[in-house]
Amino acid sequence: MVLTPKERVIRLFKREPIDTMPCFSGMGMVTIQVINEMNIRFADVHTSADHLARSAKLTADMFGYDAVVVPYDMCTVPEALGRGASLYQNSDEILYPTVPQKWEKIDDVVIPDDFLIRGRMPLVDQAITILKSETDGDLALGGWVLGPFTMAGQIVELNPLLKGVRKDKERTQAFLERMTDLVIEVAQHYQTLGVDYMNIREMGTGSDLLSPKVWENLIGPNLKKIFEKIEIPTINHICGSTDLIIEMMNECGADAISVDQKNNLTESRKKLGRDTLLLGNFDPYATLVTGDLSEVDPVIKKCIEDGADAVWPGCDIWPDAKRENVEAYVRAVREYGKKASPAVGRL
Amino acid sequence: MDLNRKQEILSKLAEAVVEFEEEMAREWAHIALDEGIDAFEAIMMGLAAGMETVGDLYDKQEYFVPELLLSADALYAGLDILKPHIKKGEIKNLGQVVIGTVQGDVHDIGKNIVKLMFEVGGFEVHDLGRDVPLERFVEEQLKTDAEIVAMSAMMTTTMTGMKKVIEMIKKKNPEVAIMLGGAPVTQDVADLFGADGYAESAGNAVQEAIKMISSLRKLQKKT
Repeated sequence: MVLTPKERVIRLFKREPIDTMPCFSGMGMVTIQVINEMNIRFADVHTSADHLARSAKLTADMFGYDAVVVPYDMCTVPEALGRGASLYQNSDEILYPTVPQKWEKIDDVVIPDDFLIRGRMPLVDQAITILKSETDGDLALGGWVLGPFTMAGQIVELNPLLKGVRKDKERTQAFLERMTDLVIEVAQHYQTLGVDYMNIREMGTGSDLLSPKVWENLIGPNLKKIFEKIEIPTINHICGSTDLIIEMMNECGADAISVDQKNNLTESRKKLGRDTLLLGNFDPYATLVTGDLSEVDPVIKKCIEDGADAVWPGCDIWPDAKRENVEAYVRAVREYGKKASPAVGRL
Repeated sequence: MDLNRKQEILSKLAEAVVEFEEEMAREWAHIALDEGIDAFEAIMMGLAAGMETVGDLYDKQEYFVPELLLSADALYAGLDILKPHIKKGEIKNLGQVVIGTVQGDVHDIGKNIVKLMFEVGGFEVHDLGRDVPLERFVEEQLKTDAEIVAMSAMMTTTMTGMKKVIEMIKKKNPEVAIMLGGAPVTQDVADLFGADGYAESAGNAVQEAIKMISSLRKLQKKT
């Protein structure tokens, strides 16, 4: 029995047997080959619903992915809150948009009631709608939102935000609760538009930055609240050091956990048992951009051997990935993903 | 001066940094000056020694980035008072540093901490800020003839920009030392790009900078 890509992804999240491991992600997957084929510049893709939808679909078609994911940049919500977006339209480099004007302190933050229709938010909605109509019944449609702390770091200067975690706990906590409501609103909005799974990327909270104790008190409870409010399959994604917090991540109630290459996946699998859906954990830059073609296969094989239920990149796939490396990644997932993974059996 | 008293004052300055007590750092910086401790010695053997402990605590995963930032604030508080009192010619002319985060990147915590450590160490720092167009690094290096260019990139996509800067600078002046910092930077990347040093996170950057300061402290002790 051969499943459609969408069925494969949905069944994976339900931990139901599948035909083979899906190859997909909950982060950006567009590459420069697609951008070039569309005859546009990378900076242009973020400002057109058609470009976003078309590039996502072309990416899935070019490499044989099981899902499409939009948008690509992390500034859509900050921009809708009035913080602007630097698109680097004059740069020769491939640069993701950044937030030019963050608020200086958390007290300054104002969240307009209608932020969902401001900035490029409607454009992303439109891209999702186009993809939904063009891919429904075939490819899975992935959505993502930054987690509350990471979102906070996108709209408020990081220095006072991080210091507030230690020095101004109550106000920081109250602010993060506001951010949590914002994240829920965006995630539920995308859910209404029909995305099939929702990745909450709380990547600024690994143990490179915050202590496990802070994570337990300030980060975990908010993530838990988010996962309670989303009905479609959810992923709790954190990059950076996650070995010390992996069990707490699992207690937040998402359908799957996603980690990057800094995580010791074998150990995480031991800690979490065979039933938890674990996604990860290769370094997309080292494997797909700078690495030799011959290095791809063993990297992907190792992720599966270490206990990943689906091989996810630790972050966005960088647009200037080598085409042959990405192809080798997809090929390796198909090859080594035939056998059952710890949490998901095979038909 | 009583050596025990001197040691006490230096320890208090270090403690203020470790415990992120800005007021305490100011208070003991004044005491140090009032009681005749050399300002540069108070910085290096007091405040910088405290930051070295902070680096160790980060290494042991007892301290994290919020703690580093608060310690840095305490260090600045003491430094602001002590620095104007450094005797001219006392610091060896260590040189100049051009520092910034590359275009496409607005994360500057690691950069700011490294900048602080360079300042503590007596370098003249030219801070270009964040989201800096690549050619600005080259221009500033040429303008100042700085011996070190330190670049930070938190996002992987902006990292490739650093490679271009290194090539541009090394072409014009192969002697310039290049330091790279940021989450996606590894030793392999630093080697590949032709950089002379790297740090993968704000904490690592502090560790690297502290190693540099530790060497300086040893040098100062000898002289």
